[in-house]
This record gives sequence, C-alpha cells and structure tokens, in this order.
Amino acid sequence: MSLLQPKIKNGSSLKFRILLKGLGLFVFLTFSVGPGRDTHGTAGAQESPAQRERRGKQIYVQGTAPSGKETLAYLGESSIEVPGSAMPCANCHGLDGQGKPEGGVTPTNITWEALTKPYGVSHANGRQHPPYTERGLELAITRGTDPAGNKLLNVMPRYAMTAEDLGDLIAYLRLLGKYRDPGITENKIVVGTVIPAKGALVDMGQAVKAVTTAFFAELNSQGGVYNRQFEVKYAETAETPSGTQTNVERFIKEQEVFALTGAFIAGSEKEIIPLLAQQEVPLIGPLTLYPQIDFPLNRQVFYLLSGVDCQIQAMIHFAAKKPELRTQHFAIVFPKAEINLRVVEAVKEQSKKDGVSEPQAYDYALGHFNVADTVKQLRYSNSQVVVFLGGTEDALLFMIEADKLRWYPNVLLASTSSGKEIFSAPAGFDGKLFFSFPTSPGDQSTDGLKQFQALAEKYKLPTHHLAAQISAYCAAKILAEALKRAGKDVSREKLIQTLEGFYEYRTGLTPAITYGPNRRVGALGAYVVSVDLKEKQFVPASGWINLN
Amino acid sequence: MLTKAVILALAFGLMSAAAPATDSILLSTRGQKKPRQKVQREVALYACPMHPDIRSTKRGKCPKCGMTLRLVTIKDPVGAPASAPIATAAKEVDDLSGFSSSRVPDVKVYDQNGNRLNFYTDLVKNKTVAINFIFTTCTTICPPMTATFRRVQQELANAALNVQLISISVDPSTDTPERLRDFAAKFKAGPGWTFVTGDKAEMDSLLRALGAAVADKNDHTPMILVGNDMTGYWTRTYGLSAPTTLVKVITEAVNHR
Repeated sequence: MSLLQPKIKNGSSLKFRILLKGLGLFVFLTFSVGPGRDTHGTAGAQESPAQRERRGKQIYVQGTAPSGKETLAYLGESSIEVPGSAMPCANCHGLDGQGKPEGGVTPTNITWEALTKPYGVSHANGRQHPPYTERGLELAITRGTDPAGNKLLNVMPRYAMTAEDLGDLIAYLRLLGKYRDPGITENKIVVGTVIPAKGALVDMGQAVKAVTTAFFAELNSQGGVYNRQFEVKYAETAETPSGTQTNVERFIKEQEVFALTGAFIAGSEKEIIPLLAQQEVPLIGPLTLYPQIDFPLNRQVFYLLSGVDCQIQAMIHFAAKKPELRTQHFAIVFPKAEINLRVVEAVKEQSKKDGVSEPQAYDYALGHFNVADTVKQLRYSNSQVVVFLGGTEDALLFMIEADKLRWYPNVLLASTSSGKEIFSAPAGFDGKLFFSFPTSPGDQSTDGLKQFQALAEKYKLPTHHLAAQISAYCAAKILAEALKRAGKDVSREKLIQTLEGFYEYRTGLTPAITYGPNRRVGALGAYVVSVDLKEKQFVPASGWINLN
Repeated sequence: MLTKAVILALAFGLMSAAAPATDSILLSTRGQKKPRQKVQREVALYACPMHPDIRSTKRGKCPKCGMTLRLVTIKDPVGAPASAPIATAAKEVDDLSGFSSSRVPDVKVYDQNGNRLNFYTDLVKNKTVAINFIFTTCTTICPPMTATFRRVQQELANAALNVQLISISVDPSTDTPERLRDFAAKFKAGPGWTFVTGDKAEMDSLLRALGAAVADKNDHTPMILVGNDMTGYWTRTYGLSAPTTLVKVITEAVNHR
C-alpha cells in the first residue's frame, strides 16, 4: 500500500494513535507538497490539466481515486476510520461546493472564490481565518485545520490519500462550481444515439436516426433549451456485443456526448450499460427488451417501458387475481439463455408476492425443444398455467402437441412472440392464450399523436418501424423535458436527479412515466390481452397492471 | 430542561452503583459518601403495553385487555429541586420523562436482509438498545453518525456488553432492504446491528412514537435513543458525540437496575 498514513491497529491506545497519526500526516505532508510532485504520475509531463481535473472530480464526488489507491477518512478525535467512498466531499459540500445544510450542520462553501477571498473568511460560528492557499487546503483536508490553525467541525473528516491523488483533488477544487461535464457549453449541448447500421435492422436504424434528428432540429428551431442548440451524433452497432462496446466507448470519448437517447442496445445490454456507468453518461429510453434493473442500479440508464420480465410479472399478477387460476399449478418453460434466467427469477418473485404456487421451471437447449417430453411432464404435474418464453414457433409446437392429448392449459406468452402465426393455434386454446404488452393504443392521446404526426410530415419521416420511432421520439422528449426541468446550470448528475423526480409525466404516446431513486422503468407495468382464435384478434383482458 | 437532565443522569449513575432495584417503589437515597448531591425521586411502575393509562405499583394484568403489565420508570419531578449542580459529563444526555417501553410500537418492519420483524418483540424486548435515525441518501450527518455507531459497536463488544444497535430509516419509501444492506456494508456494520425499514405508514407511526418524526427528511436530527427494556430506562443523546461518550451513556443503560 502506497499510503503514507500508517494503518492504525485497533488495540493501540488512543494517545498513541493520535501520535502515530500526527507523525503520519507530517511525513505525508512533507512529501505531498513541493515541486517534485508531478513526476510521481506515470503519465508524467504529457498529461493535460483536464485529465487531472477529471480524476479529481471522481475523488470529490465518489471518494475513490482513479489511481486505484486507497482513500480513507478519519472522523473525530478518536479517528474512526471509514473508506473515503462513505464520506466523499460532495456528500456535504454538494456537487457545486456551496454546502448542503442538514440536521444542524452547515458545511462551508468551498468554491475557490469563497475560500480565497483576499480579506479572509468569517464563519457564522465566529471562526475566522485568512484566505486559503493550495497548501492551506491540503492541511484542511488532511489535518482538519483552517489557515488560522483552528480546528474544523468534528463532522469534517481528515483524509488520507496519496500525494498524486491529493494533487488531482486540489486541481479539481480550484474549478469547483465552474466545472462542466463534457458535451455542454454555454450555447451547445451534444446528445448521441446508437443505431444498428448493418444486417436486418438497418431500416430500423435509419428510421430511429430520422426521428431523433427531426425532434432535435424542431427543438432547435424553437430556440433549443436555455438558449443551447442541440447537436446530435450517431454511433453504430458492430457485429458483436464487444465490438459495439468498443464503438460506443470511442464515440463517447471522441464526440464528447453529454447524454444518450433512444440508443439501440438490444443484445449488448451487458456490455453497454456498465460502460455508461463507468463513463457516467446518462442514457434515456434505450431500445431493449431486457432492462437491467437489478440492485445495485445502474443510475445512468432510464428505460421507457417494461421489459419481458415485468411483462410476465404482470401476467402472473393477472392470473393470481383470477379465482379459477390462483390455486392452480404454475410452470415456466424457457430456452436456456442468460437473459431468461433473470425473467425466471422475476416470475418466481412475483408468484411469491401474489401468493400463488412457485412455477416449476423446465428449460431446454435452444433449437432442441423436445416438445413431446415437455408436454408429457407438464401434463403429469397438472400444470394449468404455463408461462412460455420460447418464440412463437416453439409455442405453437407446444400447443399442437398438447392438443393431441386433448390437454388445454392456460398459456402465458411474452409480447416478443406475438406474431400473426399465433392465430393458427389449435382451437381448443381459444380464450386460454394470453399475452402482455408494455403499452397499448389507448395510451396515445390525441395531442400526443398530433404532435408526432406534425413532426413526421414536416420532416418526411419514414412510415415503417413506427414502434421504434415512437420509442426513440418519447426518449428524446423525456430528455428534453428533463433538461428544461434541471435548469440552465445542468450537469449529468443533476439530469439524473431531475429524472428521478419524474412523476406521471405524459409523453402522449406511452403510459405515464415515473422514475425514482429505486425506479428506472418509466412505465412499470403491462396490459394483458387474450387471443380470440375464431376472430383472429387480440382482446383486452385487463386494464393497466401497475407493478410498483 | 438541562438541569433535569443532569439530575436524571446523576440519579441513574448513583442508583446503578448503590441501590439494588426493588420491585415496587424506588426511592433514590441521598448519596452519603459522594460529594455531589443527587436528588431525584424515581418511581417504578407497571403499565399496560396497549393502554399506557393503566398503571399499577404491582405486577399484574391489564384490566382492559389482560396483557401482562410491563415495568416502566417514571421520574417524579416533585423530588427535584431546581438548584441541582451541573455535571459536564451529563451534558449530552437528554430528559425523556414520560417515555417508556410501552410507547415502542410492535409494528412490522423489514431488516437489511429483507426479513420481516416485529419491531418491539424482535428488536427491543428484554434488550438494551441504541437507536439512531438515518436515511441512505442522506449525506451530511448520517455517514459520520453511522461511522460513530460502528465504533460504538466495536467498543461495546470489547467491553462484552450485549447491546442491540438499531438504525431506523426516516425515508422508508426510498430505503429498500437492499439499499440498507449496501449502506450497512459500507460502514462494516457487524451482527447485532439491525437496519430497519418498512411500509411508509407503519414507519411513520414508529418514528412518531420514538419522537423522531420530521416532515422533511433533511430536517432529521442526529439523535440517539438509548433504552433498557428490562428496567424501562430510556434516554436520548446527541449522535455526533464522541464514541466514548455514547459508550458511557449506553453502559449506564445496560447497568441500570
């Protein structure tokens, strides 16, 4: 460990600990100031001030150093040791450095201007001191004293970190309150999206690109947001998820996008989402059926609609409310795949919540569906409610096989297998076949439709891939609304906090959008429909099922 | 207020040292050897957990609901002259007249592992407890308060004192058990320290009963409630005090007879 602060063992006496600490700090400070500091860094002379500030920002906001070296905080006279991440600077002093009063504690305004007023600083409690210098600030951070030698309040910890990390932090502190996230200036804001550019989805990609471009062009023509004009940039998916990840990473760095909207991440969720978390780039309304909403949340990503997991959960809830179904045996059949495991987990959770029997799980290797065997097993266990996660084709095979045995359980299917072919299911399944959809035509208000149609006409948007277009349009609309609500002085963090405050925001084309500190799916719920096999149509079987 | 607090602390300090608890009425005797005068009349009563107005000086059942009466301690302010000396050590201790175990509701709560618990029965009954009030998105005072609590837990363990630590969320709609678990892990909370959340309505009633309800979570105060359910002794202290001070207050509660 390159920490200069000695580790303090629990058993040592208090006095000894303080002595050790003082000594440690002395050594620490002796090395930490002075001209030779910059030579410590591996990047040496080539690194730009911007890189230092960026690293310093992480220390300030998260209490961890990008160098990977330990940052520790020592609290009070007894030097209680906690990781820096438990008490980062921004916790009390705020992202803007102004200080967030709470429970009778008023943290000092630590913007550089406030600390370096030429005539010094007088605090409300009578504490006075001359203006801070960089050195003075180092002492405050590491030793807990102000330039007059006064002790700071006992809730301000003393921090131990390497000299380089402290240098980075100070570099950032000089900028505090003036620092801007990448992609935003006084009169410009850069937003990006990711589109599929190859293969079967090219047309969809072009449609999404067209609607996103049109939306922001229209917004710019109305004056933008807070006098900022939008600039829209595009990244393309690659053949493989890791290829897409590389593309997006390069895109974020080179194009300096402030936030992403409506990005196509289906199939590369596991690669893109952690990347966004690491780069701290917010993404609104990604196109995916598998939102990653497990704890701990990826704070940066806000989804519009429920994915497969929540859709099926809504159906379980629906079945549990039906007296004839709630006492039956439940089963879930799915092809072996990582994405399905999360769905199965969610379904089990929901059954527990709704008090129905835990669904028995039957998995099969994709492309090797032994339909006869599966049907036999399910029938033997008398499963009357079967959740089926395979595609339309396998679902049909399953029902035809069951029909041979004159066995007609209720079959619950995800919206992903709602192709027209499903109407050819055996007649015995009439009224026993259910789907769930994350949105319904009823969610589209007259105003919402009018606005969208006006945009489509003005910018001659393609008439295909309307669902994807609407999704991208709503994502852009939510981003624009959040930027308005966040105020002129917006940062990525402020954008995220603003979105977390969205309550029943109406896009006009989807169910109302609500986010929260623990909630990342805007319309968390689904509609259940049943299939009328005679008339070959979907019939609403439920209203909006709210999963919150 | 302060004077009363001082008297109370002195009285408890002396009583735990000198007077063994008797079953009906405890009269704190004037300390003859000690130079400082403590003059606090202490009355032990039995009250119904459901009907606090039912009180008796003897053990028994509640005439209204038949529940066993529980021991509570009530201070008798008449016995306290206004001119009591002020002791510095007792500054941190607040007066809690009228508070008793019977005021601790048995609401259903979740701990940080998602287990359903009954607050009084599972966490307070027959135990000495120290309770603080936090929320995981709190940034200014909760981290130092929690870090202090962590140190208190270590020192209590070193002293072989068995105390249940409880951190109650004042923001239950945000603080899911997962969030609490994360928060607990960040501060390395050990076993015997339970983080509590639950349904908004039930948590509100719990917070009100414990005197920690606030309209805005950012207004919550760094308060720690310390109680010994076996003797009905309850006190309140400042959560940002040094760990040694807190340990002292808690030790007094443990040793209270």
